Amino acid sequence: MQKVVSISLNGNSYQLEEPGFDQLRAYLESAEARLKDSPDRAEVMADLEQAISEKCRGTLGPHKTVVNTTEIERIISEMGPVESPDEKAAGAGTADGGAASPPPSFGTQPRKRLYKIREGAMWGGVCNGVAAYIGADVTWVRVGAVLLTLFTGVMIFVYIAMIVIVPYADTAEDRAAAFGVPFNTEDIIGRAKKNFEESNQRWHREWRRQQRHWNRQFRHMNEQIRMSAQSFAPNLSPAARGIMAVFLPIAAIIGALVFVAWILAMVSLVTQHSIFGWGLPHGVPLWVGVIALVAIYFAISAPLKAVRNGGHQAAGHHPGWRTVHAIVWMCAVALLLWAAYNFLPGIRELVDNLVWAANLTASNFSETMVARNWN
Amino acid sequence: MNVTEKLAPIRKGLLEYVILKIVAGDKVYVADMLKLLGPTEFATQEGTLYPLLSKLRREELVDYEWQESEAGPPRKYYKLTQKGRTQLSTLNDYWKDLNRTLADFGN
Repeated sequence: MQKVVSISLNGNSYQLEEPGFDQLRAYLESAEARLKDSPDRAEVMADLEQAISEKCRGTLGPHKTVVNTTEIERIISEMGPVESPDEKAAGAGTADGGAASPPPSFGTQPRKRLYKIREGAMWGGVCNGVAAYIGADVTWVRVGAVLLTLFTGVMIFVYIAMIVIVPYADTAEDRAAAFGVPFNTEDIIGRAKKNFEESNQRWHREWRRQQRHWNRQFRHMNEQIRMSAQSFAPNLSPAARGIMAVFLPIAAIIGALVFVAWILAMVSLVTQHSIFGWGLPHGVPLWVGVIALVAIYFAISAPLKAVRNGGHQAAGHHPGWRTVHAIVWMCAVALLLWAAYNFLPGIRELVDNLVWAANLTASNFSETMVARNWN
Repeated sequence: MNVTEKLAPIRKGLLEYVILKIVAGDKVYVADMLKLLGPTEFATQEGTLYPLLSKLRREELVDYEWQESEAGPPRKYYKLTQKGRTQLSTLNDYWKDLNRTLADFGN
């Protein structure tokens, strides 16, 4: 004799043997637990009960009114374990990043960081890293960097500083942080393969072009030096020369001060995300700060430059004064940097790194030259 | 670990695509789907299928209607929505690309 339990499945009543009832209850409870985070829980539970109900009805006949334990066991094994597809998506991680899963919100995205990226790099991978950071095409970043270098010249310092300061993205996690997206091995290999051949060819082309360019520049410079040597005959009034002699060095020193302050601010911003302790406003990314700083520098140095140009004009565009200005400016920059190097520990570290990087670049460069001459 | 076991996650991931394909044909009832899938590599059970169908319905890829059955209570018959049709054709294209990629490797 078996004790029978009467149950209702989705509105239909059945009589189950007690051990069968216990098993079915356990099955439904575990199903409910599995689905506890699913928005479809109620619906799925109703569907399951309905399916079980139909299976139970199948076991009954005119002379059989109780579902026995063996039948319940069979029904449960037919139903199979309940799996929530949402749970699966979360557990399998990247297995389906496709249309099924909702787009990742900003909070779950890995934090972006600025890195140098070797794959497809032309030089130090700085432009590549910046492109990844701001999510732009690397070509445009390179064009921007070259234009800034041509028009301002200071960009080259920024570039060298970044070569030293910004780390390479060497691990998969670094790369993920550089792009701000999950990154897998296939992507890396594919990207590296694609870029290697391209950049190799491009590098050769670029190198030849650069050599032609340097030759041209060298000839041009020679000519200029010759011309300036010829024209450095004094044709200024003594008074004007006196004013220039005082005014130009002062302008040069002010210019140098602004320049050094700007370089230090840039270093401080890139390394510590704050300018001499003054942090960026919350939510403003680093690159905006860098661009703002560049803009501020030009805003300050433009009037200085205008005044200086005015002075040159008054002096009848004498190239000699430009030379004087350049020499004073460089001396002042050197002096200020020397002072910073000696009195600011952070700067000392940076300069040591710079020297090391310069040595490395120089030795690489000479190796390349030797290799090329032998080929 | 044999091949069947190794590819279990792939079959699991493909189940949604397979279901969309089945539902695209004609209005189907879950028992029919299970019968269709039973002899294939994608053999599955109610415990997997119902939650998956509910998810697809929540994502508005499939919809169902109640139909009376000769025996017992009305049944849910599933059909593809317009959105589901679009998704299915995307998945078809993707699957073709995937096959092409697989065929290209190692040749």
